[in-house]
Amino acid sequence: MADSQKDVPFKSVQVEALVVMKVVKHCSSSFPTTATGSIVGMDSNGVLEVTNAFPFPTIDVSNTDSHQNDASSLAAAAPRAKANIAYQNEMIRHLKEVNVDANNVGWYTSATMGNFINLSFVENQYHYQRENDKTVALVHDVSRSSQGSLSLRAFKLSPSFMAAYKEGKFTTDSLQKSKLTFKDVLIEVPVVVHNSHLLTSFLHQIPALPDTPEVPLPASLDDIQRDPVKIPAHPSFDALDLSIDPFLEKTCDLLLDSIEAHYTDLNNHQYYQRQLAREQSKITQWQAKRKAENAARVAAKQTPLPEDEWQRLFKLPQEPSRLEGMLNARQVEQYSKQVDGFTANITAKMFAVRGNLLPE
Amino acid sequence: MAVDQEHFVHLARPLAPSVLGFSASSAPLTVNIQPQAIFSIIDHAVRRDLRDTNSARVIGALVGVRSEDGSEVEVRQTFAIPHTENEDQVEVDVEYQKNMLALTLRASPRETLLGWYTTSHELNSFSALIQNFFASPDTGTFPHPAVHLTISTEAGTAIETKTYISAPVAVNAERAAESCLFIEVPRKLLFTDAERAGLGSVSAAAQNEDRSAPIASDIEGLAQALETVSDLLERVSGYVGEVLDEERDGSHALGQLLMNALSLAPKVDPSAIEHDFNNHIQDVLMVSYLANTIRTQIDLAQRLATAPLAAGEKEAGDRKEGEDGKDGKQEGGNRGGKRGGRGGRGGGRGGGDRSREPREPRETE
Repeated sequence: MADSQKDVPFKSVQVEALVVMKVVKHCSSSFPTTATGSIVGMDSNGVLEVTNAFPFPTIDVSNTDSHQNDASSLAAAAPRAKANIAYQNEMIRHLKEVNVDANNVGWYTSATMGNFINLSFVENQYHYQRENDKTVALVHDVSRSSQGSLSLRAFKLSPSFMAAYKEGKFTTDSLQKSKLTFKDVLIEVPVVVHNSHLLTSFLHQIPALPDTPEVPLPASLDDIQRDPVKIPAHPSFDALDLSIDPFLEKTCDLLLDSIEAHYTDLNNHQYYQRQLAREQSKITQWQAKRKAENAARVAAKQTPLPEDEWQRLFKLPQEPSRLEGMLNARQVEQYSKQVDGFTANITAKMFAVRGNLLPE
Repeated sequence: MAVDQEHFVHLARPLAPSVLGFSASSAPLTVNIQPQAIFSIIDHAVRRDLRDTNSARVIGALVGVRSEDGSEVEVRQTFAIPHTENEDQVEVDVEYQKNMLALTLRASPRETLLGWYTTSHELNSFSALIQNFFASPDTGTFPHPAVHLTISTEAGTAIETKTYISAPVAVNAERAAESCLFIEVPRKLLFTDAERAGLGSVSAAAQNEDRSAPIASDIEGLAQALETVSDLLERVSGYVGEVLDEERDGSHALGQLLMNALSLAPKVDPSAIEHDFNNHIQDVLMVSYLANTIRTQIDLAQRLATAPLAAGEKEAGDRKEGEDGKDGKQEGGNRGGKRGGRGGRGGGRGGGDRSREPREPRETE
């Protein structure tokens, strides 16, 4: 990759309506299993244009004992599976023949309530970003989109994280040096939806609010029921839905999962530290013994034994990677931001309802 | 939500020559089209290359699912097929179609080839030729009828879709390949609930001058929805006011509808509402509070895990000069203390110089 290219990272992602619909469709049809696919497009003047998308082949798990999680994890790993890279190249080659932008610009995945930040996500994005810096991960949150407005977000890994991931070292030591915190793992890129002229023209034909102020009055109630008013897709009234319990329940579940993950991580580290302390005390004992021995040998005019043999005799435990913990922290941050947004939203709705039902 | 056209004359479907063991159904056929299929046809139409082909239209294949009795088909996706067309011949890249179909079906194994689309309403002998290709037993949808979708993409005119199925018809045997009888079948544009949100943001973009719109956050979406609702209510109350003032004639139907709607308003005890309201708002705030507390905790844990404790470092540094050999042990102890930060037993241990790995050979020098 040329350095000049590196200097101008894209500032925003412009997603064609076609991609939005394809991604939404694929993700919602395979819900709750994770769905992944590839996106193609091009980068121009700091805007990454995503112009087409196609799903990755689903791996048939019915012959093995089919388990929903298996399908999910297979799908989550799909973007970096060897078979799919071939599939993607083949597909892009075919799309090129019909004048579709033939550059891979990343991948998309589905998520439930923002629970997408995990090792698999990072690995996938690393896989893409390693070869081409101008790639992005589109995340479509199926659960949140069903609550009202579309939740489609674009993420990329930060350069500092890329560097750290490349080395594969997430020890306390390396994190201190690179000053990498969980906040620097992912960079969110703003997403803009874009339509072609022809599509705009089409969209104006599907129901919109009547533009003439006078509409013919219906003759009977039956008329209205037979031909109900066509509600335009935007702004969507689904946003006014008052159901909050499923959301809260799910968020609590996810938070508990995160705490569990955090606790596991913590235990791993404590185990490591105990292990380390034990090994080190053994080493010190050994060193003290050897020193005493050497002192005795010097006194007896013998050559002293080497003192660094402990490196061969004792093996210090490996420090567990801090990556899991970092991602978990990032995930929790995401949940809490999400809950904040939800709180703002639902309080507004609740007060509206109360104001309506309890006139002063 | 389905965008349906109003009235449709169902014509009897012509019977295809039936095969032994398969009874051709002559039930009416309905085509449901999903928006992303239309979107991708439109995208294809926009991207057509005017240089190598004289034809103004593009063609492609329709892929989707067919209901069990074959009376309903749902077009889920499409792919473009390169073709060239001039006055006396048409060429379709059959190889491309085959490969692309195989690729598409690998990603969505439950779908099948349904037919084909083109971007002009004209039906000519080339259409018949292609239609027969798509309806044939080896390369097409036989024994099910192939669906032909036409969509007009003329600039400046409304975008219309039409769907057809076909029956073989010919004046003589030689011309059978290039003739067929197209029969129009009803079609619907079908939106599922899941697509509503997506379509919402796409239509938001359609209302802007530059044909693009950022993805609105939940709260913005809510604000827009509320504004629209209050506009609509305003309009209704304006209308009711005018009727009451006898400025315009009332409509019984609308009156009835409004009465019905208003009678749906729940009659509940104010204290019950107050109670429910308080309960729910407390739930929400509680979850929000918890989430933020957990975030702070984990943030803190992360920081303590990686941050060198400033005071401890200096101390450890001093010690290093003094008793070099014992360093390994000190560190081990300090490490344990450091991770305990979350549990509140960290600080007292004096911290440690954690930027050095104990296996550094310095200790043995």
